[in-house]
Amino acid sequence: MSTVFAVLGKRYFLILGLLLACPMPAYADRVAFGAFESAQNAENWAAKLSGLFDHKMVVTVIDDQERIIYRVTSQNLTAQAYSRMTRSATASGVRYWRVGEAALEAFPARAEKSQAAARIVPPSPPIQRQIGQGQTAGQMQWDLGLQTRLFAHKGDLQQDRAQLSVSAQLEYFRGWDNDTRSITFTPFLRLDSLDSKRSHADVRELFYSYIQDTWDVHVGAKRVFWGVTEFNHLIDVVNQTDLIENLDGEDKLGQPMVQFSTVRPWGVLDVYALLGFRERTYPGVDGRLRLPYEVLDEARYESGAEQMRTDLAIRWSHYLGPFELGLHHFSGTSREPMLLPEYAVDNEVVLRPYYPIIDQTGIDAQAFYGDWAFKLEGFTRSGYGDRYASLSGGLERTLVGVLGSRADFGLVLEYYWDERGDAAVNTLFEHDLALGGRLSLNDFADTQALLGVIYDTQYQDYVMTLEASRRIGNNWLLSLEGRAFAGGKALPTPLGLNVLEGPDYKSAWLQQDDYLQVEFKKFL
Amino acid sequence: MFLSPLLFAAYHNDVALLNHSVIRTLVRLFLLWICLALPSTAMALTPEQQGRNIFEEADRRNSGYVDLEVELQMILRSPRGVANERLLRIKQLEIPDDGDKVLLVFDSPADVRGTALLSHAHKEADDDQWVFLPALKRVKKIASKNRGSPFMGSEFSYENLSTPELEKYHYRFLDQQMLNGVSCFLVERLPKQTSSAYSKEHFWIDQDEYRIQQVEYFDSVNRLEKRLVVSQYKRFGNYWKAGRMLMTNLLSKRSTELLWRNYRFSVGLDERRDFSVNSIRRAR
Repeated sequence: MSTVFAVLGKRYFLILGLLLACPMPAYADRVAFGAFESAQNAENWAAKLSGLFDHKMVVTVIDDQERIIYRVTSQNLTAQAYSRMTRSATASGVRYWRVGEAALEAFPARAEKSQAAARIVPPSPPIQRQIGQGQTAGQMQWDLGLQTRLFAHKGDLQQDRAQLSVSAQLEYFRGWDNDTRSITFTPFLRLDSLDSKRSHADVRELFYSYIQDTWDVHVGAKRVFWGVTEFNHLIDVVNQTDLIENLDGEDKLGQPMVQFSTVRPWGVLDVYALLGFRERTYPGVDGRLRLPYEVLDEARYESGAEQMRTDLAIRWSHYLGPFELGLHHFSGTSREPMLLPEYAVDNEVVLRPYYPIIDQTGIDAQAFYGDWAFKLEGFTRSGYGDRYASLSGGLERTLVGVLGSRADFGLVLEYYWDERGDAAVNTLFEHDLALGGRLSLNDFADTQALLGVIYDTQYQDYVMTLEASRRIGNNWLLSLEGRAFAGGKALPTPLGLNVLEGPDYKSAWLQQDDYLQVEFKKFL
Repeated sequence: MFLSPLLFAAYHNDVALLNHSVIRTLVRLFLLWICLALPSTAMALTPEQQGRNIFEEADRRNSGYVDLEVELQMILRSPRGVANERLLRIKQLEIPDDGDKVLLVFDSPADVRGTALLSHAHKEADDDQWVFLPALKRVKKIASKNRGSPFMGSEFSYENLSTPELEKYHYRFLDQQMLNGVSCFLVERLPKQTSSAYSKEHFWIDQDEYRIQQVEYFDSVNRLEKRLVVSQYKRFGNYWKAGRMLMTNLLSKRSTELLWRNYRFSVGLDERRDFSVNSIRRAR
């Protein structure tokens, strides 16, 4: 206590002493206009300011043991010159600091603290980043995958039980001017042992970005995600689903677009011109997780422009404390085709994708309360007969440090609803309940597991899903994925044309396709 | 103490105007009283005020650099000494009259490369936090209540790493102690929020530069759970920044070392360009 007094007291006396020793100047000796790592940048800034204020600026060298900094300051100023300079600095939005030499010695931690009211930052000095950090060279990362899928049974059409594939994805990024301009390129390739259609390549991303303080523009193939729920991505319609990659709809094809995005006090506004259309990928005849009929490559479109139509999308989103809200509108060719049966030349039934034009207006919202998160997404959509609505919502609770361990456990409960009920031809989730548990061990290997079940409350068919992953070493990832389908009717023999229309047969084509997938990924 | 220059000026005016020896003496006596009274009011502070003052001073000395960029290496060690490493880059922006905005981007391990975490701290309200998952290109708002959860498998929780806002705690000055030859204030910090994982924290703050030297974290049952030792302070202009932080979990014997490198200050970061929900989805 008494020592505190001594220390505090000493400070007070020192300050008082200084105050008494020199009448407090209403101006500082000099004004500083920032510090630079590069002498050249400091000289440039000094030259610019000398012109701006009609006053010679000097560059002082500060060696703080760690490195050398070049500070741009005015020369010693009179009170008049000081106030003239600070006024014009404020007027032209240039930040400045006062550096009186006396003040500098008395208050070392404080000398540069008093700032102009204006929060406008001077043109940022071009700080040279280290090589490999995107300023001077491109960044590249490969990820290579080896994936095996083992199925519990032979397929309905006697497809094999084992499926082996390899994949490669490159991520290339190159930025200029502090990454305010950049190019991103992400090609993807998979080669599959069983399904020739699953051997496919895609440009996931190839776009140019131009970034300003309050807005940015991106031109090229890109991936955009919309939505909040865990097991169903209802409103995520910007990109086409790469269904052949995975049934969960989380893999997407690159969508060519021009995206304009702006950050405003009233939220973030994104406007998309979607240039051209990508068809959904479906497994081939030898593949698994496929419909009982072949899906033809040649799709039909409602739009006369077919794949060349330019679609439009707009989304606004904002948050306020624990609430987050997004509104969107999409006008264009639907990403979800209707599969229309027809007879091929050999009298085989085949399915032809038909892509209608839709107008979709929707919402996504989230709210947090304590450990709880509440989520909702939904839309109303025209184009599939009458306009209809669909909702997907639920809640999530996260428990930190379960059972005294360092693990987190998240509980997810969601419900999916489609106004059309049984007549909802383009989704399996029309009256379904999903329950999931996510475990994160928070260990070195970031071990995580998500176990879920999606249950149709009307027809009692369900799918159980497991997704787990664990890092091995620093550059490998082992992931495990499994799905079991049950409760649904098996495909009838012989197959009738109405199989896909009967609501109780909706998941019949999946009933033989329980599988376990093991994947190793190597990052280079 | 900020009044003193005003009084001093007033005294000069009085001298010029009144020119009366009695009044001059009175004014002098008054000034002398002020000078003597100020330190004694400092002595009369309650431990709570003292504690808060120390934190305010520490906060004052550690703010004003506008923005910074820094690189962070995390070394995670198991009780048996198995080590694991993460690399990330951090951008931070001071917001006048509100909490800092921080963007973290992961460079390593490779499977989480490109994952980004954005947080907007607030003086009183709950912090806003988002995570960007590059595989799905998904920006996910996350509940800031899960603050006790370990950050990237380390011994630092989200709470330990968040920029502490003065208003969110009560303080109490306890003692002064020598710590590794440095004389420190020992101040207790008590969270106002029930979401904190700790019942209390003990801070050792050095008396010379008001830098945090050591922190001890007490869990909900008041058991000493973790100790943070901060060292290798370096001076950058007017700011002292730590080069090394070592957090040891005294119960599990696991530890995490943070090595801070390449501090850069006042680089011209922009609130909307670099710290908006939009910027997290293009962070790299």
